[in-house]
Amino acid sequence: MKAMRLGVWISILGLISCGKPTEDIKIVVDTDIIKYTALIQVTDAQTGNPAPANASIAVVGENAANIYEISGKKDIKLVQGMVTIGLHPNITPTSQNPITTTVEITASGYTAQRKNITFTSAVRQQTVPIGISRVGNTAPPIVIPPPPVYQDVSLNFTGRCPNRPDVEIRPSVYVSFRKAGTNESFKYLGYMDKGNITTNLLAVGETYNFQIVYGGESYTVSQKIDQTSYNLTIDMTAACNF
Amino acid sequence: MKLLHIFIFCCFLQYAYISKAQSDVVHPMAIQLNVGTQGIGAAFNYGVTKGLAVRTGFNAIPIKANDVFKISGFNSTSHVSADFYNIHLLADYTPFEQQSWFRLVGGLGYFVKAKGNVRIIPSDDYKYGDLTLTEEQIGYVDLNVDWQGIAPYLGLGFLPSFPKNKFNVNVDLGTYYLPKPDANIVGTGILSGNSSQTDQFRSNIKDYRWLPILQVNFNYKF
Repeated sequence: MKAMRLGVWISILGLISCGKPTEDIKIVVDTDIIKYTALIQVTDAQTGNPAPANASIAVVGENAANIYEISGKKDIKLVQGMVTIGLHPNITPTSQNPITTTVEITASGYTAQRKNITFTSAVRQQTVPIGISRVGNTAPPIVIPPPPVYQDVSLNFTGRCPNRPDVEIRPSVYVSFRKAGTNESFKYLGYMDKGNITTNLLAVGETYNFQIVYGGESYTVSQKIDQTSYNLTIDMTAACNF
Repeated sequence: MKLLHIFIFCCFLQYAYISKAQSDVVHPMAIQLNVGTQGIGAAFNYGVTKGLAVRTGFNAIPIKANDVFKISGFNSTSHVSADFYNIHLLADYTPFEQQSWFRLVGGLGYFVKAKGNVRIIPSDDYKYGDLTLTEEQIGYVDLNVDWQGIAPYLGLGFLPSFPKNKFNVNVDLGTYYLPKPDANIVGTGILSGNSSQTDQFRSNIKDYRWLPILQVNFNYKF
């Protein structure tokens, strides 16, 4: 076997040149393992602010065993009121058999709330806003107007592993945004597929913070919008544990 | 079949050249079998003049091996395959009549097929959160290189081209200068994004054009 290996090296890889064939080549890892996902956004129904820090989420009822956080973890928790859940990759809903699960939101001082989420074959991504109200509060929920629309901007995200410079992550996750320097809540921007998202919610000349919630962690990056396309690098430590 | 046609055509050219050679010169002929870094092959040798011989033939090296390629920090197995098939027309020139053991060799080879492939497959049980991924979900990465085309050859030959009697052995040491390679990376599963590394791989591999040849030839004169 050693002779065979030597022969191969001499014959092919023994081709003479300076440098190494794999020099500066990174290993690119996708995160689109879980195909059917739902971004859950929990807010205070009366203010529109993110759910309080002590808010928690539980998946209950039928199919709960097949529901995972988008990073593949069974531990599902809210980060700034957000979390993405999805179906086990071996489970596929069909038009005849959509898969429904139930999430329950609890927070100290708030009325617990349950909501059904249905995964269908036709919709791979969905957003599920859940407003929770303080105990005894009967005021109607606040209506948040849709964000203004601008020209299309393409964002290409690359996930960085601080401890693995030889690895790049190509994230498939939901993205939120807000204007930099403000305390307003992060708003839903869209779903980035394999690192790419095109959106018309960004104004030219404004600087934005972009946020993804993955593996129970929040990652952000900022960018001023002056062009129609940007390549952004964002730390994704939770995606580097392999 | 195409390879055979080209080989026959080369032989025809060689014979056409032979027919024009002077009739008072001895024209030794020999069949050559060879083995070396370009695999195994065969050739037909013809002595044009006392100091000049031409040979035409083919070589082939289909090789497969496992675990010869590692990426640091990434536990993986690898399958390497190489398929190099060439036909060639070479001239052997003996510059010093008294030193017939030393030859200058030059010519051209046409690499009908010159492909290298490395398939890298993660070897660990990869977990995605609490999920254990299947082999299909993990996927693999293929590094493909293709040098097909015409390549000049230059080298040295040691020991005489033709046997004194019926049989001899000689050695070639030289190099082909291969065409600029075409290269790409193809990934599957969660590694499908690695095709984005193709440009870097092409840049890294673009100077891999010198194919060194060390070859032992077994000649039979008839």
